[in-house]
Amino acid sequence: MDLFEKLNKLREQGIERINQADTQKKLDEIRVELIGRKGQLTEILHSMKDVAPENRPKVGQQVNQLRDLFQSSFDDAKEKLVQALIAKRLEEEKIDVTLPGRQAHLGSKHPMYVILDDLERFFIGMGYKVVQGPEIETDHYCFEMMNLPKDHPARDMQATFYIDDENLLRTQTSGDQARVLEKHDFLKGPLKMVGPGKVYRRDDDDATHSHQFMQMEGLVVDKNVTMSDLKGTLELIAKHEFGQDRKTRLRPSYFPFTEPSVEMDVSCFNCDGKGCPICKYTGWIEVLGAGMVHPNVLENAGIDSTVYGGFAFGLGIDRFAILKYGVSDIRDFYTNDVRFLEQFRKEED
Amino acid sequence: MLVSYNWLQDFLDLNEDPKDLAEKITRTGVEIASVDHPQEGLKKLVVGHILECEAVEGTHLHKCMVDVGEEEPIQIVCGAPNVAAGEDVIVALHGARIAGNEKIKRGKIRGIKSNGMICGLQEIGFADKLVPAKYADGIWVFPKDSDVKPGDDVYEALGMDDYILDFDITPNRADTLSMEGAAYEVGAIIDQKPKIEEVTLKDDGADWTSDLETVVDDNLAPKFYLRKISNVQIGESPMWMQRRLWNAGIRPINNVVDVTNYVMLLTGQPMHAYDAKAFANGKLEVRKANSGEKLTLLNGKEVDLDTNDIIISDGQKPVMMAGVMGGLNSEVTADTTDVILESAIFNGTLVRKAALRHANRTEASSRYEKGINWDNTEKALNLAALLLRDNASANIEAGIIKATDQQRKPAVIKTTISYINKVLGTDLSKDEMVKIFDRLNFDVVVDGDDLTVTVPNRRWDISIPADLVEEVGRIYGYDNLESTQPLLDETHGGYSKQETAMRRIKSIVQGQGLMEAISYSLTSPEKAIRYTKNPKEVVEVAMPLNSSRSTMRENLLTGLVDAASYNMARKQKELALFEQGRVYDREGGSFNEHEHLAALYSGHTFANNWQHETQKIDFFFVKGQLTNLFNSLGIKDNDVEYKAEVVEGMHPTRTAAIYINNQYVGLIGMIAHNITVQDKALRGSEIYVYELDLDTIISMLTKGMKAKTAPKFPAIERDLSVLVNSDITNAQIINQIKQSGGKYLVKVQVIDVYAGAQIEKGKKSLAYSLTFLNEKDTLTDEVVTKAMDQIEADLKEKLKIKIR
Repeated sequence: MDLFEKLNKLREQGIERINQADTQKKLDEIRVELIGRKGQLTEILHSMKDVAPENRPKVGQQVNQLRDLFQSSFDDAKEKLVQALIAKRLEEEKIDVTLPGRQAHLGSKHPMYVILDDLERFFIGMGYKVVQGPEIETDHYCFEMMNLPKDHPARDMQATFYIDDENLLRTQTSGDQARVLEKHDFLKGPLKMVGPGKVYRRDDDDATHSHQFMQMEGLVVDKNVTMSDLKGTLELIAKHEFGQDRKTRLRPSYFPFTEPSVEMDVSCFNCDGKGCPICKYTGWIEVLGAGMVHPNVLENAGIDSTVYGGFAFGLGIDRFAILKYGVSDIRDFYTNDVRFLEQFRKEED
Repeated sequence: MLVSYNWLQDFLDLNEDPKDLAEKITRTGVEIASVDHPQEGLKKLVVGHILECEAVEGTHLHKCMVDVGEEEPIQIVCGAPNVAAGEDVIVALHGARIAGNEKIKRGKIRGIKSNGMICGLQEIGFADKLVPAKYADGIWVFPKDSDVKPGDDVYEALGMDDYILDFDITPNRADTLSMEGAAYEVGAIIDQKPKIEEVTLKDDGADWTSDLETVVDDNLAPKFYLRKISNVQIGESPMWMQRRLWNAGIRPINNVVDVTNYVMLLTGQPMHAYDAKAFANGKLEVRKANSGEKLTLLNGKEVDLDTNDIIISDGQKPVMMAGVMGGLNSEVTADTTDVILESAIFNGTLVRKAALRHANRTEASSRYEKGINWDNTEKALNLAALLLRDNASANIEAGIIKATDQQRKPAVIKTTISYINKVLGTDLSKDEMVKIFDRLNFDVVVDGDDLTVTVPNRRWDISIPADLVEEVGRIYGYDNLESTQPLLDETHGGYSKQETAMRRIKSIVQGQGLMEAISYSLTSPEKAIRYTKNPKEVVEVAMPLNSSRSTMRENLLTGLVDAASYNMARKQKELALFEQGRVYDREGGSFNEHEHLAALYSGHTFANNWQHETQKIDFFFVKGQLTNLFNSLGIKDNDVEYKAEVVEGMHPTRTAAIYINNQYVGLIGMIAHNITVQDKALRGSEIYVYELDLDTIISMLTKGMKAKTAPKFPAIERDLSVLVNSDITNAQIINQIKQSGGKYLVKVQVIDVYAGAQIEKGKKSLAYSLTFLNEKDTLTDEVVTKAMDQIEADLKEKLKIKIR
């Protein structure tokens, strides 16, 4: 067989073997056989001595071409094998992305604090200080200073948790007002505070009563605070809490610690004022109580009520939560059923 | 108070839609809770006159021929026991609608044709409690004076064409608990002067005032007036009065009792009528009850009187609980001929307490409780006498006994126009303000800026200038006030330092996956001091609602354990809860409130999953969470010490007290078996908890820091394995390592703990990873080896530890 034929045959066989190799190992063996130091191409090169001198350059050229061809075929084949390997591995690593993830504990805020934190931020933005007072309060601060006369029904043993004749669980956060009023130095500026916290009343727990609940008290006192300022402030609060498109109305009301006293209603957010069970077909929902600080409250705290005056308001946090979230039983806030609480994870404050 | 729109027309000229009027009253004076129109929803209810009525044999039914104003009478079958020929009755015709939107159709009863239905008051929407007793179990029969004729709609005759405004008063506006009071209020709102009539009376009997000896304590009854009425004919009240009573929510009883109720509704002055026989021995006393005295009230309730109840007695035994309810022994009955009428002012606080004490609040007691117009005592008494003469053909004996007769002077209040404007933020002129007081029927004298306002006794809620501000403000209209913001010097809003720190801590533990709970502060005496190291004296309320809510908690954990029980009973076993709140204790006369944080974990670190990759919550998981919390607050691990301690309610060998810089700050551990075993829901659960005293911890926190750059030189790690007696703690070993490790030892970590088969009994093996770092230079092996040698030597010598 002539050398050229031999080369042609080697090319055909070689390419075929390379392409058939299915492992890196086989490919390496074939490489040694074909282009290794003792491989077939080298062998042909060695048999060059039998070739006519004038043909030698041509053979040499062809051998080199074939070596290059084999080399690039090896590279291709190797790349293919690597790709196949990767493909196989990826196939093995494939996961069902639709399977669920592992869930660790997910925290949440209690709905009462969702409402409270939001309100606190709202008031802080308007320059109010957040003030905390004691829950075990004296009759003096809770009632006497707040202008509740001795025989006022709220001062009954029936209505209030008394500890002894002097001390009680506060029935309202208003005691904070008295404490702050006593301490505030008006030479250093106006008084602007909110006082959030727990309060207690001697009510049996049922769907609409709780012996413990949350209130927030607000107080602004200075030389020129008017009832129009109160109206403007209450409207901001009501709209912040229940929506900018709510209508509001003020009604005369009565609290011993304010005079005049008012309550604010917002147009029902369920029926938009048309009348529904939520607003008891009145179109209005009562949301808060307020008024101008009673002169006796100021005087009791040693403040000249002919010079200073202001307004106070009280917000029922439980009531806000009940209205905002459509809660039908106030006890839900205090039984801590995780199936109830976890709903509020999504609520921003 | 239920105020009839039609009755109000006696005083005012009303031509407004009752609902619009109600809205005005709500915005200006008193909240109108509802406006009820009794005939609403009713249809085809007419007066019928029963011509014939025959019993249907073998049944309780009657077959009646009824004139309903049509050409021919119609036949109706009626099952009421009181149906009879000659009666004027309520007929629901074919196609009528009665209460509950029920439709009445022609039909047959027991095969007898019936073309409608003869109705009782309940069937057309009257509340049971308003239907006169005589008609409670049958049909309504119009009294003879009703002036009705067959075929007329029944609504007007029964007062159902009226609109009833429910005045939901605040305690200061009890002046509107009468028609006259309501008329003054509505008059001021719509700018009309109400027509309030005076009563003039001519008696027609002998003077009786010396027949009765009265002893009245004027602290109990500052005003106490009596009149005597003789020869009363007990019967039904005229229709017009019955109508007004039931529209005000009061059941007609008889013409005497009805008059007392009617007068109370009209004037606001509670009245009482006694059968004069009750004072046959010529004595009447108003005093506090003696202990042991009893009285059976008109409603049949037998009451053990309290020594603070005011009673009226016949000189010996009580016959009335003053201001609350009469006694059965002085009741006006069908046999009564002579009546003593009482119109009085009683001490409101004592009346309120008596009504509350005996759970017997009445229309009268609630008026005494909230206040009475001192100027109506005599008018009410005379009016009642007059009405009894009209309605019960009685004689009015001459004279009034005024056993006590204190007077009250109208309040005279001085203020200024500018003060009222300043508080309201308005700019009302003198004339505008005078006009408002005129609408209220208050006398006012103006002198420049000064106002002197005389407030009639009927408005006893008004006594100081601020009260006048309210009157001016509300009549001017809160709707007309501008909405402004206070124009003040700058104030800086914000939280206190303590509050800021607590909020940070809450957000960290929320981020750790804890769900926030709020529990009741009141708990049982046992739970109040459970889970509490060194409990203090507890705070107890004097009159708890029940024994499980009698004592203020000294720990938060008790609430969380209750929550765990509640949830586990509902198959919610994976729990990660926290509460931030106060705990309470007392030291003699003073009370302490401390802010605490508590957390409760039970179940697993991950929710159940298909990979089964989760761990049971254990002490060390919870401790890790707590360590992270401390780290985020800048509390150094070195400063925190955990000491195994025994605390009631906590697992005795899995609980640690936590100290920071040797100060006790809280505890961590497992809830004791003896707690979980007692509670079916908790049984078998491992519950791990911690509770921290935030007051103490927050006081230790420092604000602000200086940053340093990250280390530029590599650290060197060495492992150390030791074999020790099992009673030696990890903390002891680590402390020793740290003491001996020199200045480049920056971290010691336990990486393995083993006790068991491979190891000698009573011993355990621990392995540590020690990290050395010189922040300023490359550490040499030599230095580290020297440090390790020192550590090993000291461990051997001081703790008798074998290095492995």
